Formats: sequence, structure tokens, C-alpha cells
Amino acid sequence: MSELKLSVDYDQYESGVKIVELIEELAGKDESLQLESLIIGDWGGAYENDSSEIVEALVRLKDRFPQLRSLFIGDMSYEECEVSWINQSNIGPILSAYPDLRSLTIKGSTDLSLVPAQHDKLEELTIICGGLGKDVITSISEGSFKNLKKLELYLGVEDYGFDATLADVLQLIEPGKFPLLTYLGLKDSQIQDEIAIAVANAPIVDQLHTLDLSMGTLTDTGAEALINSEKIMKLKKLDLNYHYMSDEMMNRWKQSGLNVDISDQQDSDEDEDYRYPSLTE
Amino acid sequence: MNSMIIIGNSGNRRTTGLQAARARLGLPPALVLDYIDVLQGNASFSSVAQNLGQTLDEPPLLRLDAPGEHFEVERELIVLGSPDTANTHISEIDERWIRYNKSVVQPISVKMAKGLQEVKGKLYHPSQWFRGYCKLLSRLDREAAQLWNKPRWMNAPEDIAAMFDKRYTHQLLSAAGLPVPRRLAAPEAIPDYDTLRDAMAKKRIYRLFIKLAAGSGACGVIAYQVNPVTGAESAVTTIGVENYLRRPPLFYNVKKLMHYKEPQDIRRIINWVLRHGAHVEQWIPKASYQERTFDIRQLVVAGKACHSIARVSRTPITNLHLDSARMSLEGVGLTDNLQATVRQCAEQTLSVFPRSTVAGIDVLLSSGSYRPYVLDVNPFGDLLYHSHYEGHDPYEWEMRMASHSTTI
Repeated sequence: MSELKLSVDYDQYESGVKIVELIEELAGKDESLQLESLIIGDWGGAYENDSSEIVEALVRLKDRFPQLRSLFIGDMSYEECEVSWINQSNIGPILSAYPDLRSLTIKGSTDLSLVPAQHDKLEELTIICGGLGKDVITSISEGSFKNLKKLELYLGVEDYGFDATLADVLQLIEPGKFPLLTYLGLKDSQIQDEIAIAVANAPIVDQLHTLDLSMGTLTDTGAEALINSEKIMKLKKLDLNYHYMSDEMMNRWKQSGLNVDISDQQDSDEDEDYRYPSLTE
Repeated sequence: MNSMIIIGNSGNRRTTGLQAARARLGLPPALVLDYIDVLQGNASFSSVAQNLGQTLDEPPLLRLDAPGEHFEVERELIVLGSPDTANTHISEIDERWIRYNKSVVQPISVKMAKGLQEVKGKLYHPSQWFRGYCKLLSRLDREAAQLWNKPRWMNAPEDIAAMFDKRYTHQLLSAAGLPVPRRLAAPEAIPDYDTLRDAMAKKRIYRLFIKLAAGSGACGVIAYQVNPVTGAESAVTTIGVENYLRRPPLFYNVKKLMHYKEPQDIRRIINWVLRHGAHVEQWIPKASYQERTFDIRQLVVAGKACHSIARVSRTPITNLHLDSARMSLEGVGLTDNLQATVRQCAEQTLSVFPRSTVAGIDVLLSSGSYRPYVLDVNPFGDLLYHSHYEGHDPYEWEMRMASHSTTI
């Protein structure tokens, strides 16, 4: 797959390079006509400049990217910008402008929206952030993604924008919503136990090959519900890496016969108030 | 010709590492002049030179090593930095290398300094300590010059004083045209938190490294940023603070990084660091290796780059062993060209200090363009474990170069 990353690094930002100019420059070349995967990295001062100009440019130049199947907006490290400080915008127009897109990844949730949340061919939707807002979660659960196979959402913490309830999150996994879904990631959450308990016996698990509840505050409480679920035991893979489970629970997983990732155990003796999901800075 | 004197703390891993390297190479053990003995007047170059039983035209190799990790030495240096210090070995000329903070803030008297008790990790008085160390370096320089016509310093004391002060190092490297991150402002222009914030707003620079002027390693370093949209602040640092109702806060060095978000905490810590003297420069995003970022410690000996390690970390401060891994430059995927760029940058950096033959240069490659920037020059930056160059560890390599090279 032909792939390209555009970003405005420190030196370029200092000398006044604009990401939109880089997109326009790329669109001006024949190369753009064959490009299948585009990664937009740091667009320069992402802590103060939002992604709306990028969305606008990509929508305006959509005819120059006829083969584009995969798009990542905001691929930057904490060295470039703290994830919770990345200013996004409404990414919805991208979905409308690129009906053949298969994969969309977004990093950062500040001022993020996804309206209209509709796409007939999208297979993968990933949002990496420190805290996902209720409005985005609701947009996805009320939207239409008929062909979605992988949904990976970092839910995060209240301090960084997670303002949904468990019920809001569970709307995402109501039966029939994503008929082709095989990978579900509801991860990096401060309510990872509640999510684990609710998902453990949910009908959607029957259609999944991977359940990803990693990077959150999962303890033995949530794990107990998972390990006792017959549905869970039929998964091809369960991802629980970065967790607060006890050694005893980890041993039970090792003996369960399930393909389960239980790496990166956190100190589970710590007080509940000091348990954090992984991506909270 | 092969005799050597180390000014250091005997028994620590630096001194024992160097002695072991000499033994492996068949060299006689170096004589160790302990910092504590020099500071307390119990030993000097002349007493050690007598032991060597040498003639004056055969000067030994002189190596100054790190004075750190020794509480009594730290206390004596703070005593030496006191405004009311009276030391027969020190004269007024020994203030010649004190370039900033000429009057130390909230100085402590000799009496108070002598009464300091050891508290693990406590940052006692960095600016007065550095003042004392500069005086000692000057004294040792004078004494060596009296004993030997041409003292064979591996690193000249004056260079060590310069390298140890991040403000002055930045000034020297900038003047020499080396790539360094831009300084926010002259140290005098940002004496406290409020002036720092003013300067940030004026220059529209929101991400900074604030470094204690004379700190070693990660000590006194703050990765500080302000979100211009929300006003939120973030400070990642090795500085811990304990607040008290009836006395000033206690600042100490922590092994695990702290992440402050409360404006009140951040203001207190930044004020403390700026008052003791700090270098403040732009935070340039470092290149990534997988999910982590890295910078490079490149050792240079006798003008030639040798041992190197990439310090790979999930945090902005890569010096700490905790949460960061040591990898080879190939391991983090640097091409031969980039490795050569780093070596060249480090060699040019050491050449700014012509009377020095050993330094660990910290170099970052910027995210995206992989352009090199010099972050720090460490005169005692050769304590690198599990690192070999042409089959030799750093100390062996230095000793080999010292016996073969005419420049050391």
C-alpha cells in the first residue's frame, strides 16, 4: 500500500510552513492519484491550531486522492503535543467526501465531532485520546457504519473529556448496530471494570474475534465477570494489557487456555484513587 | 609518564571503574585525591605529588571527576560558597569563573551550612553549591600550575566550570554556531515565574525545558508547557516538593517523574529553580522509536566520537534510568549518515572547549527532519555501563587514548 506522512516539524513550524500548503503540494503531484494511505502528523502548534483547515483542504481536494483508503489525522507523540491538548474539529465531512475510505484513525478529542457519522464502506474506526466526549460516542452509536469491522475507542478519563455514562457507552454494542464487527476496543477507560462486566455476556461478543479492554483500570472485579463468561472464552483474542489485576487472577488467565494478553501489570495495591488508565499523560 | 591523579570520591563507581580499567591495561593505579580531604585541608596536590616522588618535568595526568553522591563533599562545597567563608586556600581570584548569580539568593552562612544534616534526595542549595565548586576548581587550577609547568588536565578546571553551567555552555555553543534549541531569554530577564510567563506570551513559545543551571543529569529539569487556548499548565520534573505551614517548602530529587498540573505547585517549583539560576530553552520534539522518543549520549574522547547510547523513553526527560531504556543507535534505526551527523555534531561541540578531552554530549534529533541539536555537555558524562567502542569500555578507551595521544 502506498503510504505517506505529512507533518510540520519544529524546524518547519519555526520557518512558517503550513500543513495545508503541504497537502496542496501533494495534491498537485501525480503521486496523489495513486496514494492509498495518508497520515497527517503534527500540523504545527496543534495545542492552539485545530484540524479544521486540514479537513477543509482534504474535502476540497478529494478528487486528487481517488485511491485513498486509509487516513490518520493527528499522528503525533507527546513530544509534539500532549494527546489531550490536540485540537481537533468536525471530521464528519471527510466521511462524506471519501466514500471509498476503509480506515479512519483520529488522535485527540478536544473539540472533536463526527457529523454526519455515516459511511457505507468504512471498515476500521479508531479514536485515540485521553477522554472521549459523550457527543462523539453518541454520534457513532446513532450513526451508520454498515461495513465496520473494527471499532477501537479510547474512552479515557473525565479530566480529559470523558463525560459519558456507562449506558452511553453500551449503546455502541446494541445488537445489530455493526453487523460485521469483529474487533471491539473499549479501552483506556476509568470505568474499565463496569465496561468489562457489561460486555462480558453481551450478545455482540458472539460475533467478535477480538475484544480489547486494554490500557484501562481493569481489576479483578471486571476480570471475574470476563473469566466466568462462556462467550468470552470463545474469543480468538482478549486484550487486557495494562491492568490492575492480582497475581492470582493472572494465574487463572494463564490456565484458562484463552489467547489473552495480560502484560504490563500495574501496582494493584495502590489506592483506588490512584489508578489511572494508560493514556492520561 | 603513566602516573595519574584523580580528584574524586574514592570508592565510588567512577573511581573504582577507572582504576579497574587501568589495571586491565597494565597501568599503575592512579593516586586518588579525595574531594573531602582537599576541602577539609587534609590533602593537596603537593602532598600527593610527594607520594608520586616525581620530578616537576614529568607531570602526571590530572583528572577531575564528579563531586556528587557524597553528602559531606556537598556540604563542604556549600560552606565554600557561603558569603562569609574564610578559607586560607581560597583567594578573591577564585571567584573568576562565577559568571551568573554573583550574589547568591538567600545565601546560608558558614555556620548554617556546616550544620546541614543529610536528608536523602534533598536539594540543599544548588546555587551556593555551584559557587563553592567554581571556587574549588579555580583553586585546584592555581595549585597545579604552581607545581607543574604544564599540568596535564584531561579536562581543564575552567572548562569544567563552563560546561557545568548550562547558561554559559549555551552561550558558548551558540557563539560557535552549533545547533542548540533557542533560549527563551537571557537568565537575568526571567528571574521568576511571572517574568517567565510574560516572556512566553510575548514570544509565543509555550513548550520549554527549564534546567537548573548547574544540575547534573535529570536533576532540576522541568519539561514545562502552557496550553495557550485553555491556559492549562503541565510540568514534568524530577523535583518533588514538601510544603510546610511554618517554614519554607523542601525541594528534593525524586527517582520517579512527577507530573504537576496545579498552577500553585508549578509556580512554586519554577520560582525556586529560576531563583537558583536556570537555563530556559525551547522544547524541541525528539525523534520517535516506536511509541517512545529518544535522544543520544555521545561520548567524545581526544576529539573523536566513540561510545554512544540512545536513551529511549516514554517521558520527556530521558536521563532517568526508570521508564527509559538504553539502546544502540542502530537499534533505534538510525542510518549510518545520521550516526555520522551525531558524531560530527558532538565532536564540534567538544572542540568549543579546546582544553578538554572528554565529555558526554547529549544530542537530540528532531522529530520529522532528524536535525541534530545539542542539549547538554557533561564533563563527567563518561559513566556509561555496558557500552563498548572497539572492544573497550569508556574508561579503558580514555586511558588508551591518554597513553597514545599527545593531545591529552
